[in-house]
Amino acid sequence: MKKLISVNINDKEYEVAVSPNQTLVDLIRNDLELTGTKKGCELGDCGSCTVIMDGKPVNSCLVLAVQANGKKITTIEGVANGEKLHPVQEAFVEHGAIQCGFCSPGMILSGKSLLESNPKPTELEIRTAISGNLCRCTGYQKIVEAIKDVSEK
Amino acid sequence: MLLPKFEYHEPLTVDEACRIMGELGQSAKPLAGGTDLIVNMKKKVLSPSHVVSLSGIADLKELDSGNGTVKIGACITASEIAQSETILKSFSALSKGAGSLGSPLIRNLATIAGNLVSARPAADFPPALLAYDGQVVLMKSTGERIVPLSDFFKGPGQTVMEPDELLTQIILQKPPAGSGAGFIKLGVRKTLEISLTNAAAYLALDQDGSIKTARVFLGSVAPTPLRSPSAEKILTGEKPDEALFEKAGEAAAGDSKPIDDFRASAEYKKAMVAVLTKRALNMAFKEANAG
Repeated sequence: MKKLISVNINDKEYEVAVSPNQTLVDLIRNDLELTGTKKGCELGDCGSCTVIMDGKPVNSCLVLAVQANGKKITTIEGVANGEKLHPVQEAFVEHGAIQCGFCSPGMILSGKSLLESNPKPTELEIRTAISGNLCRCTGYQKIVEAIKDVSEK
Repeated sequence: MLLPKFEYHEPLTVDEACRIMGELGQSAKPLAGGTDLIVNMKKKVLSPSHVVSLSGIADLKELDSGNGTVKIGACITASEIAQSETILKSFSALSKGAGSLGSPLIRNLATIAGNLVSARPAADFPPALLAYDGQVVLMKSTGERIVPLSDFFKGPGQTVMEPDELLTQIILQKPPAGSGAGFIKLGVRKTLEISLTNAAAYLALDQDGSIKTARVFLGSVAPTPLRSPSAEKILTGEKPDEALFEKAGEAAAGDSKPIDDFRASAEYKKAMVAVLTKRALNMAFKEANAG
């Protein structure tokens, strides 16, 4: 039986009926058509489905949609301010920290989340913060440099 | 990857959760962080017809510290434990274990009780909690019982819990002055890694500096987290130094019963038990001396 939930995603209130066995990532991508959040491994290993839930980055493939009831969620679509990119997004572009782009939403959200709690992270802290997000293109170096660059501005 | 169908329950109190679990028995699984249950359901290893979410129960999110006892609510996440000042001050080895679980994203979901109830031999919470001589509170609709963690694990995925019981709390006694503990984990990589082996050690020193109490626990080298009585025997009553820790490490390796698997050979794991035990003891000794 479907359950009615209300969830705040990117500062917009949604009232949606969800099946108990629907994951948060499927709600976000399929029902709400916010396809910036990616699906990779679907088992919590790759981090491509990262969203920020109540201030903390989590794997949305491991959260049931029904558990998001009453939560505040930020997806990659909620990061930019209109046409103006978030500083972390800008740094990713400037540093070429994006290649195929599949990991970028998760990487940017993990990076943004780190900088909000720790504005001057060390390189090790940056590497730790993005360690749940896999990238198969960049070798991570440019991603780390991009996040470091934001912290130095 | 689809989840099997199930009915979802969201109790708001422990009593209500116990009542539901009591009525549904084996057909229900409690859901805490989901990092284990949801994965197993996606892989179709588990397909409970009822899922009982514990995330709406405020009591299970409480960390209660006072009178020398710390009570950790079942649904406190690994990252909350790793970041807790209370835990870091009194239980640094637990803090370390919590901080090395999964990835930062996983740690924001995974709960301390989930890491115990899933009873994986390589889990990161049990060795430290065992070294601190922790207890768990198990509740069901007909009452509760307190079980020492050392009696809790029965085999891979197996514990003493009844199908309708919930693990609601972990109880730790604050260690006395002149004591310390250490936890160390070895993996091939630093994140999202299942330990090749891990080790936790606890030392309490006497007034004269000799070891009054020693506890050594190893992960990933037996079907359950393993105590090393031989290492503890070597340590107890002796003056701590590098040579003693080396001997205790060798004894722990002797007690360990690792198997060959795709992660590493049994021989390698045994050798690493000696090294990790020695290092965990060094950490414990350093902390015992500091405070």
